[in-house]
Amino acid sequence: MARFGTLNTAWMVWDSPAPAPEGVVLEYTRELEKFLAEIERRAFRMAQVALRDADDALDVVQDAMLKLTRSYASRPSAEWRPLFYRILENGIRDLQRRRTVRKRVMTWLPGPKEDPDSEAQDPLENVADAAPAIPERLMQAQAMEQLEQSLRALPARQREAFMLRNFEGMDVAETASAMACSEGSVKTHYSRAVHALRDQLGEVW
Amino acid sequence: MSEQDDNAFELRSRALFHDSVEGLDMRIRSRLTQARSAALEAAATRRPWALGWKLWTPAAGVTAAAILGVVLWMGSPLHHQAGTVADAQSSFEDLDLLASSDEGSGDALDMLQDDIDFYDFADKSANPGPAA
Repeated sequence: MARFGTLNTAWMVWDSPAPAPEGVVLEYTRELEKFLAEIERRAFRMAQVALRDADDALDVVQDAMLKLTRSYASRPSAEWRPLFYRILENGIRDLQRRRTVRKRVMTWLPGPKEDPDSEAQDPLENVADAAPAIPERLMQAQAMEQLEQSLRALPARQREAFMLRNFEGMDVAETASAMACSEGSVKTHYSRAVHALRDQLGEVW
Repeated sequence: MSEQDDNAFELRSRALFHDSVEGLDMRIRSRLTQARSAALEAAATRRPWALGWKLWTPAAGVTAAAILGVVLWMGSPLHHQAGTVADAQSSFEDLDLLASSDEGSGDALDMLQDDIDFYDFADKSANPGPAA
């Protein structure tokens, strides 16, 4: 079966009076699904690093998936990844802005200063695991936590460049496309991010 | 800080990140799978309508332009009157005459001057004012 370069081609076939072979449609649905399945966990962790909240991270990842499939699935599949991360980063920024506004409003309102959206803590989260934690895993978790804190302290563009280049493994051109900036800017942001992180984490880390 | 140290830092941070991704719990994995399914389902239900709209828009535009063109042509004097090209030409000649009279004899300006004198006379007749 001849492969099409984009999902759009499959849709053209799908929409034509003569129905497309079911296999072609399935193939392209699978292609999109495969892309999302491959990317979703890393995207979630990146969003979680930026937002410090699993539910918020899930929300922005879901929004990014919906926007990509609705508006950009017709683009060549090679463009999906930078597009997805651009949508995701926009979602993260929007949420951070909303939080800032909400925080300002909450400081002016009387009463408890608790975030109304925060849910009661799950008691199960405080229950210790039955199996003793492996020291090495524990150290890794601590190191990751330190890295996350340092990443949150970075300017947004530096954090974004570092996560896309280092965590997601994008090249400079792809990162520039995702960040909607020049390749030179990506290199600058990335280099500054690495040096800032190393300064914060120290030589021992 | 050497480049080698930078590379070691990059490798370590990447490895830690990927370990944390592998360590995601089942609740998160399940919710991500649900989100993916919902996104694909939304795209699948939207596709035929969206593409149909995209395909029909240019066709509708061309049709509307064609209809507008026909309507304008049917309503124009060029369509209603035979020999209209000659009429249109004579109109241009009239304009030419007017233009040439402006430049040459000054008849048009005289005519304008006559009108002003007439309006002045009519105004004075209507409002005679106090006798001197």
